[in-house]
Amino acid sequence: MPNIGELASQFINWAVGAVGESSMRIGSVPTLVTLLIPLVVLSLVARPARRWAGSEVGALANMARAMALAAESGKDVVVSLGSAGLVRGASAAERLQTLVALPLLGHFARAAARAGVPVHVASNDPLVTFLAQGTLDESHRLTSTRERSGSSMVTYIGEGRPLAAAAALADEGGHGVVLVAGGLAEEGLMLLSGLSGSAPWSVGATASPAELAGPLLLDDGAVVGPELFQALAEVAPMAHSRTTVIAANRLIVGIVVAMLLGSLAMLAGAPDLAPFLVGR
Amino acid sequence: MRRSLSSAATVVAGLLILLDLLVVNPSLGSAAGALQELLVLLAASAAVGGSATLVARHVRHLAGASPDRIGSIVLLAGMGVVLAAGLRPGSAGASDPIVLWLVAALLVPLATALFAMLFFFLLAAARHGIEAQGREGVVMLAAAMIAVVLLLPIGGAPGDWLATAADWVRSVPLAGVFRGLLIGVAILAAVTGTRILLGVDRGSE
Repeated sequence: MPNIGELASQFINWAVGAVGESSMRIGSVPTLVTLLIPLVVLSLVARPARRWAGSEVGALANMARAMALAAESGKDVVVSLGSAGLVRGASAAERLQTLVALPLLGHFARAAARAGVPVHVASNDPLVTFLAQGTLDESHRLTSTRERSGSSMVTYIGEGRPLAAAAALADEGGHGVVLVAGGLAEEGLMLLSGLSGSAPWSVGATASPAELAGPLLLDDGAVVGPELFQALAEVAPMAHSRTTVIAANRLIVGIVVAMLLGSLAMLAGAPDLAPFLVGR
Repeated sequence: MRRSLSSAATVVAGLLILLDLLVVNPSLGSAAGALQELLVLLAASAAVGGSATLVARHVRHLAGASPDRIGSIVLLAGMGVVLAAGLRPGSAGASDPIVLWLVAALLVPLATALFAMLFFFLLAAARHGIEAQGREGVVMLAAAMIAVVLLLPIGGAPGDWLATAADWVRSVPLAGVFRGLLIGVAILAAVTGTRILLGVDRGSE
């Protein structure tokens, strides 16, 4: 059996060998650029707070009131995580929407848990079913309402996109709040019509460009296109982060206006104030 | 601790897949391949688990006082027929002629019939849009009506003019809007994918 020194030496030799036998697929510079772009975008977008925009996305701020009304009238929350799923032969962009829909489900589930409203999730993908169940359990844990977790459930309705639409059309209705979030295809309009039709408040969220008309026409809150990804920041409700982003946006606008005015003034023959202002 | 471990696993798996996409390395490739095989296994076991829960739920419906007992019977019978056709001795599995016939003669017509109703749902959605969204709904449907009029199959000079206008609408304003949407979605999808792979978003849930 090798001692620790020999083990470290073998590991280093293995790592050096692995590096030595590798080669870049697209060259070193494009690889570095590919790795740097997400980091730069992350540093620009993800800081200083989680929120990306100062404006409200998809009327999600109305959710608390809708949840209270559902609690008063004894109705439930119904959630569909789209029809793209995670392991189906849908495009990667559509499957990513399913992943993005899970935090939205968590946001609704936490509000429902606090209000004592049961949540029913329907999924046509078995893996999504397990993830949704985990999200519901986590929501009850975060809100310290585990005693209410028995009333919420996730149902696997079977495989296939037409099935999601058929199940929605066969739904009895009478829900308090409806959320349809994730990748949608041709069946999207039927899915939304079946679930959102009778609910007092509904939100449709999809980034599929060809299916944007459904949420815009049928739902009270529409989170469409890139907004689906922005909504991730929206569901982290921190008032100070919203204030920070609004302030940062105003600061950026102010700086751009100052730069434009300064440039125009210099073009008009005014002296350059920049060296004086920065002390040079 | 549990969250740290799951976040670390997410980051390691994500970086491994990302590096395999960028770097040609046999060791890295086999590690990434093993991860993908694990995913396939996970999906397969989830499918079996999902089917079992589906059967259990509908058996419970039949045993209880569910109002939709006929639906449960049809679903269980359908599952049984497809399973029997695919698993009987001498069957070719999913490509067995009986399974293919069941799909072509039952499932495809059912799905086609469902999608044939899309036009009526579109009309209902348009009515709902005008009632609920007011001015915004009217503007949206007016734009849709203009597109429909431009695509009318009319002959002669007016038809040529409409076809030219339709081409322009499709290739300039519509294509511009779609491109803008796709670019926005692609950028934010890349950012979101990176955040998920690097475990940045794990703290919110």
